[in-house]
Amino acid sequence: MDSTVVTYFSQSNEFHSIVMWLSKIFGDHAGGVLTFTIFAVVALVIVGVMATVGGLGTYAERKISADMQMRQGPNRVGPYGILQFLADGVKMILKEDIVPSNADKFTFILAPILCLMGVFATLAVVPFSSGFMLSDLNVGVFYLVGMASLVGVGIFLGGYASNSKWSMLGGMRGASQIISYEIPVTLTILTIVLIAGGLSFGTIIHGQSGMPHKWFLFHNPFAFISFFIYFISSLAETNRAPFDLPEAESELVSGYHTEYSGMRFGFFALAEYIEVFVVCGVAAALFLGGYNFPFGHSIELAMVQKIGMNSMVAQNISQLLELTAFFTKTLALYYVVIWVRWTLPRLRVDQLMTLCWKYLTPIALFNLVGCAVWMYAFDGKPIYSLIFETAVTAAHH
Amino acid sequence: MISLGSYLAISFFLFVCGIMVMIARKNIIAIFLGIELVLNASALNFAAYTKFVNHNLDGHIMSIFIIVTAAAEAAVGLGIVIRFFQLRESIHIDDAATLQN
Amino acid sequence: MFSDTLFLLSSALTLGGAFAVLYSKNLMHSCLYLLGSLFGVAGLYACIGADFLAATQLVVYAGGVVILMLFAIMLTGGASNKINKFGLKKIPGMGNFSTYMIAGVSAFVASLVVLKIIADVLKSQGPTNLVANEPTVFKLGVLLVTDHILAFEISSVLLLGALIGAAIISRPRREIHD
Repeated sequence: MDSTVVTYFSQSNEFHSIVMWLSKIFGDHAGGVLTFTIFAVVALVIVGVMATVGGLGTYAERKISADMQMRQGPNRVGPYGILQFLADGVKMILKEDIVPSNADKFTFILAPILCLMGVFATLAVVPFSSGFMLSDLNVGVFYLVGMASLVGVGIFLGGYASNSKWSMLGGMRGASQIISYEIPVTLTILTIVLIAGGLSFGTIIHGQSGMPHKWFLFHNPFAFISFFIYFISSLAETNRAPFDLPEAESELVSGYHTEYSGMRFGFFALAEYIEVFVVCGVAAALFLGGYNFPFGHSIELAMVQKIGMNSMVAQNISQLLELTAFFTKTLALYYVVIWVRWTLPRLRVDQLMTLCWKYLTPIALFNLVGCAVWMYAFDGKPIYSLIFETAVTAAHH
Repeated sequence: MISLGSYLAISFFLFVCGIMVMIARKNIIAIFLGIELVLNASALNFAAYTKFVNHNLDGHIMSIFIIVTAAAEAAVGLGIVIRFFQLRESIHIDDAATLQN
Repeated sequence: MFSDTLFLLSSALTLGGAFAVLYSKNLMHSCLYLLGSLFGVAGLYACIGADFLAATQLVVYAGGVVILMLFAIMLTGGASNKINKFGLKKIPGMGNFSTYMIAGVSAFVASLVVLKIIADVLKSQGPTNLVANEPTVFKLGVLLVTDHILAFEISSVLLLGALIGAAIISRPRREIHD
């Protein structure tokens, strides 16, 4: 099992001593048991952290929107109201769990679980840092696209099972929107895959570097346009404003989760916020250099050689720096998502479909072809190296 | 445990289930579900033979084409079903017995 | 050990889903069971190292085909009257005892034929020499644009045709008065 976390931990001396100790108990399977334990613990940690990030997302949303509208926002629970999401969570758990009498009960219960499952399954490949990602699948991006589409099924089922007009309309809008916007998302991801030459997040991120001029965002003009198409489409795919038609509260009471209450509603909300985080993380990994930080491993080398630090400690510090870089980029994009939500008005349904099929998809296709031509014509060189070479030749003359 | 025999057994059960769904149901969409099961069974067979017998990736290519064909078939088929429903207000397979109107 | 566990889980999901598709009387539920079964098949692909195939299965079925089917079920859900002019029950038409009998008989015949074909493989449960799983993406890409380029192009034309055909067929046409 080639898991990145386990590979990272197996570099330390403690790992081997623990394996030796365990092999007295379990015999030959000791390595496998330890691998599984590490894997399970890290998965639980990631799910817990992501659930907290999702909860904090609701707080950030309210606080930032309050900031934009010159209000206070939540400020009662904890310092600056930061524990508001815990209070909301407790409220949701304590609420009565209502299943409408005419609802399709099996589907009604299944829908929020499908949503949450799809989002949590994508976390397996999200590259938090070079050591701290659960698995570096060699079809990583593709797997992520596939798993994220489970959310669409969940939303649709939530709308269908509630047996209410508004829910039905919301679910239908949600499913058609998610299906449609998957096309530009996949095409732009394909553009980046074309540049990086691989589907795994490891390949994609190692093709970039910490400094902005080596990001895929600035690799060529087509990749630059792709970033914006990816961002817009993923806003629509996660049902965020200005594309939050499935839950448009002014027309459909609250869309597909009108009939949901208590923790089931909480599942939908949590799934949405975590999905936004995942989508922002993927955007950071694809276009903004992922977990690379400026000067990268030269810092680690300097710490080992100049200061004489233990190499494992140096590696841990560099992992921390990578985590910081990833979370900084992702949370910056997260801020933009919230900012967009409280700035732009909602689109109409026909405008939404026109935007997807008449503008984004053709532009994304054009980008894909253009990027292929660029890779062929300039031997896969990014634009800065071309400029640099031209400058060098000009200086020689 | 992972062997060619077990894979063939699984795909055999999938195939039989698909056949039974296709024959027992009278609803066109339910028949589509059966077709998907049968197509998946055949694709699974191709992948299993690639892994256990001939080790080149032609079976995977064949499976990909099966998946592509299944997607195209589902899109066109469901389009026809929806059109048929608009004309006849029915998705019962026995209603689709005439060539014209 | 892990791959054995994954294999057991996915085969249970696949077979259970397939049986549930067969026995469920609710079309929506049987579509969901189909989704479970397809996920199981993706897991089975992953067990034998067909990683790209597994991801394709997820993308195409979970994202595309199942949502399409759910849409079709929903759009064809509301007929005004339950019995049509031929006296047939329109919705859901999920079969009755006689159709299940016929299905059982024909499945029995089909299974006899298929079992005859695969009997040799099932009997020879010898130790198959498992080669280690390798990444298939690169090789698949090369194969698709070298050996199988014609099939690849034809399938792309097929997809384009399906796209346009589905759009034209399901669009509500203007009534032609002659």
